[in-house]
Amino acid sequence: MSNGRRLTVIPAEYQPPLPSSLIVREPLDAEAVPMDVVFVGGGPAGLAGAIELARLIKEDTEAGGTLGETQIAVLEKSSGLGEHSLSGAVVNPRAFQELFRDLAISDLPFRAPVTNERVYFMMGGGRAQRIPTPPTMQNHGNYIASLSEIVRWLGEKAEAAGINIFTGFPVSSLVMDGEKVIGVRTTPTGLMRDGSQGSSYTPPTDISARITVLSEGTRGSLAQAWLDQAGIKGDNPQIYALGVKEIWETKKPLDAIIHTLGWPLPNDAFGGSFMYPLTPNLVAVGIVVGMDYRQTTLDVHQLLQKLKTASPFRDYLEGGEMVEWGAKTIPEGGYYALPKKRYGDGLLIAGDAAGFVEVASLKGVHYAMQSGIYAARTIFDALKKDDVCDNTMARYDALVNSSYIASDLKERRNMRLAFQGSGLYMGGIKATLMTLTKGAFPGGQIHSEPDADAPKNVAPEEPFVPDGKLTFSKLDANFKSGNATRDTIPSHLVVGSDIPPEVAEMYVHMCPAGVYELNDGKLVVNQANCIDCKATDVIGPRWTPREGESGPKYRLM
Amino acid sequence: MKIAVCVKRVPDMDVRFKVAADGTSVDETGVKFDLNDFDAWAVEAALQLKEKAGQGEVVVISLGPNSVQETIRKALSMGADRGVHLQADRIPFDSFAIASALAAELKDGGYDLILFGKLAPDSSNSATGPIVAELLNVPCVTAISRLEMADGRGTAKREIEGAQEIVEFPLPAVLTVDEGLNTARYPSLKGIMAAKKKPLESKPAQLGESKVKIEKIELPPERAAGRIVGEGAAAVPELIKLLHTEAKVL
Amino acid sequence: MTNILAFAESRNGELRKVALEAVTAARKLADATGGEVHALVVGASGIASKAEQLAKHGADVVLVAENDAFANYNPEATSAIAADRLKGGGYRVAVFATSAQGRDLAPRVAGKLGAGIVTDVIDVALNGDNLTVKHPMNIGKLVATISIQGSPAIVSLRPNTYSPVENAKAGRVENVSAPADAASSRVVVKDLVTGEKGKLDLAEAPVIVAGGRGLKAAENFKLVEDLADAFGNAAVGATRAVTDDGWRPHADQIGQTGRLVSPQLYVAVGISGAVQHLAGMRTSKTIVAINKDKDAPIFKVADYGIVGDVFEVVPALTEAVREARKGH
Repeated sequence: MSNGRRLTVIPAEYQPPLPSSLIVREPLDAEAVPMDVVFVGGGPAGLAGAIELARLIKEDTEAGGTLGETQIAVLEKSSGLGEHSLSGAVVNPRAFQELFRDLAISDLPFRAPVTNERVYFMMGGGRAQRIPTPPTMQNHGNYIASLSEIVRWLGEKAEAAGINIFTGFPVSSLVMDGEKVIGVRTTPTGLMRDGSQGSSYTPPTDISARITVLSEGTRGSLAQAWLDQAGIKGDNPQIYALGVKEIWETKKPLDAIIHTLGWPLPNDAFGGSFMYPLTPNLVAVGIVVGMDYRQTTLDVHQLLQKLKTASPFRDYLEGGEMVEWGAKTIPEGGYYALPKKRYGDGLLIAGDAAGFVEVASLKGVHYAMQSGIYAARTIFDALKKDDVCDNTMARYDALVNSSYIASDLKERRNMRLAFQGSGLYMGGIKATLMTLTKGAFPGGQIHSEPDADAPKNVAPEEPFVPDGKLTFSKLDANFKSGNATRDTIPSHLVVGSDIPPEVAEMYVHMCPAGVYELNDGKLVVNQANCIDCKATDVIGPRWTPREGESGPKYRLM
Repeated sequence: MKIAVCVKRVPDMDVRFKVAADGTSVDETGVKFDLNDFDAWAVEAALQLKEKAGQGEVVVISLGPNSVQETIRKALSMGADRGVHLQADRIPFDSFAIASALAAELKDGGYDLILFGKLAPDSSNSATGPIVAELLNVPCVTAISRLEMADGRGTAKREIEGAQEIVEFPLPAVLTVDEGLNTARYPSLKGIMAAKKKPLESKPAQLGESKVKIEKIELPPERAAGRIVGEGAAAVPELIKLLHTEAKVL
Repeated sequence: MTNILAFAESRNGELRKVALEAVTAARKLADATGGEVHALVVGASGIASKAEQLAKHGADVVLVAENDAFANYNPEATSAIAADRLKGGGYRVAVFATSAQGRDLAPRVAGKLGAGIVTDVIDVALNGDNLTVKHPMNIGKLVATISIQGSPAIVSLRPNTYSPVENAKAGRVENVSAPADAASSRVVVKDLVTGEKGKLDLAEAPVIVAGGRGLKAAENFKLVEDLADAFGNAAVGATRAVTDDGWRPHADQIGQTGRLVSPQLYVAVGISGAVQHLAGMRTSKTIVAINKDKDAPIFKVADYGIVGDVFEVVPALTEAVREARKGH
């Protein structure tokens, strides 16, 4: 550096606190819509939970039970199920098979079984070395799928089971009475940018629930707020990665799932890339980077664009067409980052919101569904006993802790943590030893810090000129997310005050969707571009629930 | 006041469409469908008229396969009272065929007003409403962006090229609704719950004879890639030159 | 006989450009079949004087329905006159415009006759007795080729797709009787509120200058209006975001839910190019875009783009256009 000066940024210093509005302690509206069980978030966890619960109630009713009138609701913020759902995805079918015992694999919403897999180490300069598939990345018996499609399919099953599915209804607040969760409040619609009520203004709706399940997905706002107010933490803080993904129609067919390590990630970042064929000529390509990366100008969207210019990615994508784009964070903390308690009086936390993701194999969909199933079983018992208090809900943690969710995560408990502060090479060696010892190495728990506390070096911006064919600007990419958010709504992003230009620049690069712009050293927030990936919520501006139907409209993610 | 609103289930336009294997229809794989925006404004208009009158009935009618029941439910969740589903294997393109089926359903319904959206963005033919009016021999005003009712007569405003027509009409009448008449309400949670219990009758559509046939559907020719002439005001002389010599529009 | 009827739209006693476009398209069809073009014009006394103009563009016969009750558009009487004439037989096709009036009129006529109808047509062709039209669907993302059976077939043309061509024919005037009591129409246009005098409409203007959010405030639309003035033959349009914000009336909105336009020249000022907007203008012959964001999707469809601040570029362009047009 020319002047020898080295500036670092600690993101946490500029991050505003979680908004207090996420929890309200006041009586529900007298006209509250009465429900018995509310799932907040219509992803794999919430829908699997609702389906399992409906099934248990149906069986019980057929056996002469009295729960037949139980009202189950799934509240989903996107305008249609699956539109905010994004995953790789290579899915372990285990939870599907438990939930749909009568269905054959061919009836499940998968595109294809994994038959071939290849792993490459990318060295930059266009060189890629094929390496043996590490044991954690072997996917035999798993299926290539689109999570958007899975969620749409689960929605049809849920609808058929008589579950009330409300799309376009984000929840803005958990409503509590003392320590007891008594319901939720939706966001209003039709607010104008200045906070005034537009002509189509609809006030928030309260929904009463005996049990509320937070199945919000990654970096759930309500889950964060509830855990905070209850003082519940994990052994380690939760940490996240940001994934950016594209769907391509290719000219050249792809016959294997491909994973890569190395370039274009800097050596001190944790992550990897993938390319999966949904069909031979419909290919998902993506990159995942831990948010404890070390440069303010690291830009995950740009890294994906660079990645595509190199073999083996370029070989398949060039001449094809990018048809969809999206991004999402992933909870990567694993076993030690799980909240110590994932239940409360009238409340359960399931899926990504609880952190049920195993990072070495990059899997979470089946854990999400399985945790939803356990939530349903816990709820069914509670309803049968007519007791939803803390003690009854504790069964949920017991079910999860004695299941493969906990044992899988425990086996890989230090895998991701090995990389924090270690970089790829040292981290890689540690991770290999962990795999060989089934998690016994190195003994004990590696401690970690929140992503927002990881200092980032102020680094110059890397030049990047998209060609509009193989590589795309954030604006073009955002367009392909189907995002058509009304741009006259109030901003749902809470930005700290007095953001210095270096920090603003970090936001500009961190956000894959082009929400943040630097204009004459000042931070400009284009909130309508937000696609709810929650990246900045992890280390920067806070994301809060906004008007329903906002955000992306994924079809194939 | 008894009002019918004829609504259509249309694809979300924010996608890339593909021609189906038969070459004459659109591949619906992965395409999302919803109530046509113009029709949502027509539903909103009906609800506002009913609310103002303090009584009445709003009936929503849609033609097509069973999936259109979802579209009818959406209108019911906005506040319409009941639905009628006219079953057909698919929604035909031919406006006359559709209008015949709708007219058969509407004929003896005793409706004071029959509302349509002015256009469906998929078929883009904007003809069904007026044809229904002709078949029923009732007055018709198309593409209205303002509506006032008093003493069994209505006054509507139509935006036409560079001007506005103020149109008067008696009831019963057929009206087609343009953007700007109102902002459609979102279905509320309570509305969605209530809609599940509202009556929805389903019966075969009496489609008229089709004289119009889609022979082929294609993607339009791509626009040739343009170019950036330059940056800032300095690029203006070059642009003027190109408009003059190359595009010949100046 | 395979005659073609062209409906010649008028307003306030003047033919509209779409009238000549309809006659031009009808002429093309009639030349293919060896039939005649009959142009129907409906208006208040004096409208017969327009026959010459219609003949000049290819009308063999000009059918004139004159009645002071037709000073404003009279939908019921006009559709009855057209349907009566078509019912008499001998017509293969009736050509209307997809204007506000044509959108209202053509389906009424089709309804009265039980005829096949396709509106918003960008091409119409007769091969023998086989009539096919091209019709954009799904906001222009698809184009359908459609055949229409039976005579007469009703089609309406998208404005600006057929440029009026002079092709003088006899233009023999025939008076057509209006319905017995034209004043008994149930639907009555009580008032025609015209905009500014001389203001060109979006559907017919050869040049459109349209503004988007990039203009930042309603008052900055002055820049767009000034540029339109400089062209001399331009209308002003806007994006949905702008009309939703009330900067411009809804009638100015170009896009999926607004007007579909195809001018010779479309100048997009501070417009990013949302799908909804592109749907309304992508068939323009030449597109110019001025936007500060070089990655804006509008540049994908623009023939010529200038990357820059609209507040700097547009005044300079206005000046240059004014200068360039001085010689004309």
